[in-house]
Amino acid sequence: MRQRQPRQNYLGPGGWVWGGSYKIERYLYLLHRITGLGLILFVIIHLVMTTIFRIQGQDVWEATMVFLSNPWFKFGEYLVVVAFIYHALNGLRLTLQELGFGLGRPTPPIYPFTDALRRKRPWTITMIAVIVILSLVILVEFVAGGW
Amino acid sequence: MGTAYLRLVQLVTGVLVAVLLSIHIVLTHLDAIFGFFGVDVAEPTAWASMIERASQGVFVGLYVALLACGLYHAIYGLRNIILEVTPSIKTGRIVTWALIVIGVVVFIWGTYVPVALFTS
Amino acid sequence: MSEGRTKRITFRVQRYNPEQDGTPYFQEFIVPSGRGMTVLEGLIYIKENLDSSLTFRSSCRMSICGSCGMLINNYPHLACHSQIEEFHSDRLTIKPLPNQSIIKDLVPDLIPFFDKHKSIKPYLIRQDIEEMENPTAEFVQLPQELNTFLQFTYCIKCGLCLAACPTSASDKPFLGPQALAQCYRYCADNRDEGRGERLPIAGADHAVWHCHLAGACSEACPKGLDPALAIQLLKRRLISQALGFGKRQRPSSVVPPPTETKPKVPFPEFTAKETK
Repeated sequence: MRQRQPRQNYLGPGGWVWGGSYKIERYLYLLHRITGLGLILFVIIHLVMTTIFRIQGQDVWEATMVFLSNPWFKFGEYLVVVAFIYHALNGLRLTLQELGFGLGRPTPPIYPFTDALRRKRPWTITMIAVIVILSLVILVEFVAGGW
Repeated sequence: MGTAYLRLVQLVTGVLVAVLLSIHIVLTHLDAIFGFFGVDVAEPTAWASMIERASQGVFVGLYVALLACGLYHAIYGLRNIILEVTPSIKTGRIVTWALIVIGVVVFIWGTYVPVALFTS
Repeated sequence: MSEGRTKRITFRVQRYNPEQDGTPYFQEFIVPSGRGMTVLEGLIYIKENLDSSLTFRSSCRMSICGSCGMLINNYPHLACHSQIEEFHSDRLTIKPLPNQSIIKDLVPDLIPFFDKHKSIKPYLIRQDIEEMENPTAEFVQLPQELNTFLQFTYCIKCGLCLAACPTSASDKPFLGPQALAQCYRYCADNRDEGRGERLPIAGADHAVWHCHLAGACSEACPKGLDPALAIQLLKRRLISQALGFGKRQRPSSVVPPPTETKPKVPFPEFTAKETK
């Protein structure tokens, strides 16, 4: 009988997005990654503008500003601000929880089992509510200030 | 043990970036924020106010600090994501060194213009 | 035992035969089921009556051995612990646990999983090697000291947490929530003096810093272990050790076993009196 290698069954990076129906913290982690990558992309574009286009003098700078007052770019700027708010507040939650603060003590497991993240889920939902409210406030400010 | 220090610096730079970036966003949108309350302020992205800011040491210091903290935070995060996808240890070392080089190059590139405008 | 089995449930089971070099495919079976019937009983019914080549692991049928972990309706469960009725569906899709290689049908290859568990030294380490190898006395541990890590001792090594973890999905050398939680269990045990050996393993690459608090492991754990909490407490230990503060845990002392015994309680007189 030939010795066979077991068949690989890894989900791969697709498993970051969908591995089954889990609770919210798993998707908050995914969104944290996506906003992080989005912010990096924005920083690169922003660095290009404030270095290469700034040092070339007033005409190039003002032409860039006119180019950027396109509504699509304004919407992109709004998305960047929302991404930053989400990444910062979720990052604050992760900082506290990954250092073990705010998770509670180990408790002996009694059925039906609960875990530390489920017990602290009200705080997580509060954080999401704060993010949504701030995003709406900034949306109102963007629209009122001229799109 | 060294990895714990790297992670700790990641957390500290995270907090610093959050604070400095909030200041930066508020300053760049000062006309919109004050306009909401009916106060007229010079537009921060116009050439004149931008040149005035570039000659003040506080702003140059703010931008350089923001760039340094943000770059460290971003490079550490990118390294985590890439290491989770590459399987072997040797690729991991190459990736780490490549990211450090990219970080240093971007930092030098990003600080050149504010310092040049400040000293000119 | 078949009275009361009135509903007909479709089991859609992923099959894979390595000797035929194919790709995994799904096969459907109709299983009569009733109240209280578990998925494992359904699989045993299939194996006894419908297709005896179906392969799966099972042993204790009471969720204490950790053999029967599988993906039921896209969520990792222990088959013996999941009743068919709790899924509220006429179709059950059963697949082997992801993030572990498949040997055949529903059987995952757990050897890399056990190797990761062994790599974090899951045993008590004491400085006094002679006492450790040839013990003459007991280690003292108060109940409140036990309660700080008792929850993490209930691990049955079923592998459901590894199947649920999003980092394990792409990162093959990642130690996994089970190994990291057990690493914390031994570091928090006050009888153990091996922190200096175990913490560098936890702080290495592809170890604790690749956990991002998705919390799926604690959700999937069938024994309520909360590996996510253990891993965050382990991160706290690593950082406080790097910064230099944190309570210095004194290792527990050794006490020779008691030699005096209590006096024997006399046997109560309760022999039945004969009724005349």
